[in-house]
Amino acid sequence: MERKEKRREAVKVENLKKSYGDRQVLKGVSFQVSRGEIFGVLGVNGAGKTTLLECLEGFRRYEEGKVWIGGTCGVQLQNAALPAYIRPEEAMKLFSGWKGTKKDRQSRPALELEDIRGKRYGQLSTGQKRRLQLALALIGSPEILFLDEPAAGLDVEARQKLHRAILELKKEGTAIILTSHDMGEVEQLCDRIAILREGSLIFQGTAKELAARTDGRCRVKIVTKEGEEVRFMREIGEELLAALEEYKRKGIRIQDIQVDRGTLEEHFLSLAGEVSP
Amino acid sequence: MKMRAYAYGIGLQFRLDIRSKNLLLTCYLVPLLFFAVMGSIFTALMPETKETLIQSMTVMGVSMGSLIGVPPTVCELYGTDIQKVYQANGAPLHFGLLSLGVSAFCHLMIMSAVILAAAPIAFGASLPEHLPAYAGKTALLILASLGVAGVLGLLVKEQAKLTMVCQIAFLPSILLSGILFPANLLPEFLQEAGKIFPAFWGFRFMSETGAGLRNAVPLAGIFACAVMGWALLLRRRKNR
Repeated sequence: MERKEKRREAVKVENLKKSYGDRQVLKGVSFQVSRGEIFGVLGVNGAGKTTLLECLEGFRRYEEGKVWIGGTCGVQLQNAALPAYIRPEEAMKLFSGWKGTKKDRQSRPALELEDIRGKRYGQLSTGQKRRLQLALALIGSPEILFLDEPAAGLDVEARQKLHRAILELKKEGTAIILTSHDMGEVEQLCDRIAILREGSLIFQGTAKELAARTDGRCRVKIVTKEGEEVRFMREIGEELLAALEEYKRKGIRIQDIQVDRGTLEEHFLSLAGEVSP
Repeated sequence: MKMRAYAYGIGLQFRLDIRSKNLLLTCYLVPLLFFAVMGSIFTALMPETKETLIQSMTVMGVSMGSLIGVPPTVCELYGTDIQKVYQANGAPLHFGLLSLGVSAFCHLMIMSAVILAAAPIAFGASLPEHLPAYAGKTALLILASLGVAGVLGLLVKEQAKLTMVCQIAFLPSILLSGILFPANLLPEFLQEAGKIFPAFWGFRFMSETGAGLRNAVPLAGIFACAVMGWALLLRRRKNR
């Protein structure tokens, strides 16, 4: 893995290939992530998201391709664990020592670690464990952060706190690569999205571009006195105008028009090949 | 800076082992209870066992603490994502094994010292002639036993299987070592089989007077082989 001096790109991956035995899990994945950008990697279970992240984090060797990381890294693992009897402050001190720094970001308000001081890891709730793991990943103020399903298993309040902390890091210029199954989370946090299907990246771009890349149709519900009509429109301006003229010609008075552009989840599933919208 | 990280990590592991109670049970409670019960029985039935009571009970305690107590902790660390978190946060791959090993070594030395101090008072057991040499012999036995324990913990990935494997290593280790009855009463093939366990050499090494290199070399050999085993098993993990 090459490491380069500071520049706009934080992570660059070229033609990454990884196999487990005969099964190719990553089939030439390429992308790059800039500083201050949140890059979401989506994919159904088994698509290769965690393997991709583990190759970038240095936990797995890969057969082909190039990965370069332009700065210090922090990692929050999907199934992160610590010894049950360790206290959060002990874990912070232990890993601060290994990262060669005395400074850490445990006082970051959004992580609210003060309330778990003195507790043992085994006594923490899922949300508290996640916050601690994020705080550990932030020791030494890494320039690049890998988050593998950071909000999995969290309640709404804990999720919001975590999202606030992630957005705060983005503002500070940290490049963040995250995987998630939560489309709402991805839509809210990510600047760009990549969709991984059977080891290949089938899409890279913004949520809007994703919507456009799929069939891009809007669901338009027209409510009249006679009832409701649902139409799917690709060119909404022209097609809606034509529909309105049609209703006018027929002398039907329109009471309401609702336009649904579809959720990211629907677009994702459409592209990932699970379900058609 | 890294030396301080090692030092803090090892000290922390020592405290975690006390909090977890698992090592406390296998390194202190059970061996010392065994020592209390068997010490009174042995010395009452066979007064001559007072000569080797300290050695036999120490071998028993060290074997239990290392072969039963340590492998599950190693397996828990390396078989789960705990090790990945350690690595992700800058700790080298060998750190977990090293910190567990050093912590267990300290606990087992303390347990051995308790037996050494209590046996003469409680059961009139004879003290070893040369205490510093005895401490060195005990240390070598502990190192060899922990070496085997580390290999077991890294080799067997499932806790259920590991429990069975630990028992398979521990029971013959004790039965064939000569601490409960003289090893020369056993059939020859069992006497030979006993030689693969550190307990066999440890008991002979600790019971004899003088440096006794004859028995030290096999113990040192077991430890060296175990360290090579650790290196191979850790390298295999690294090359995933």
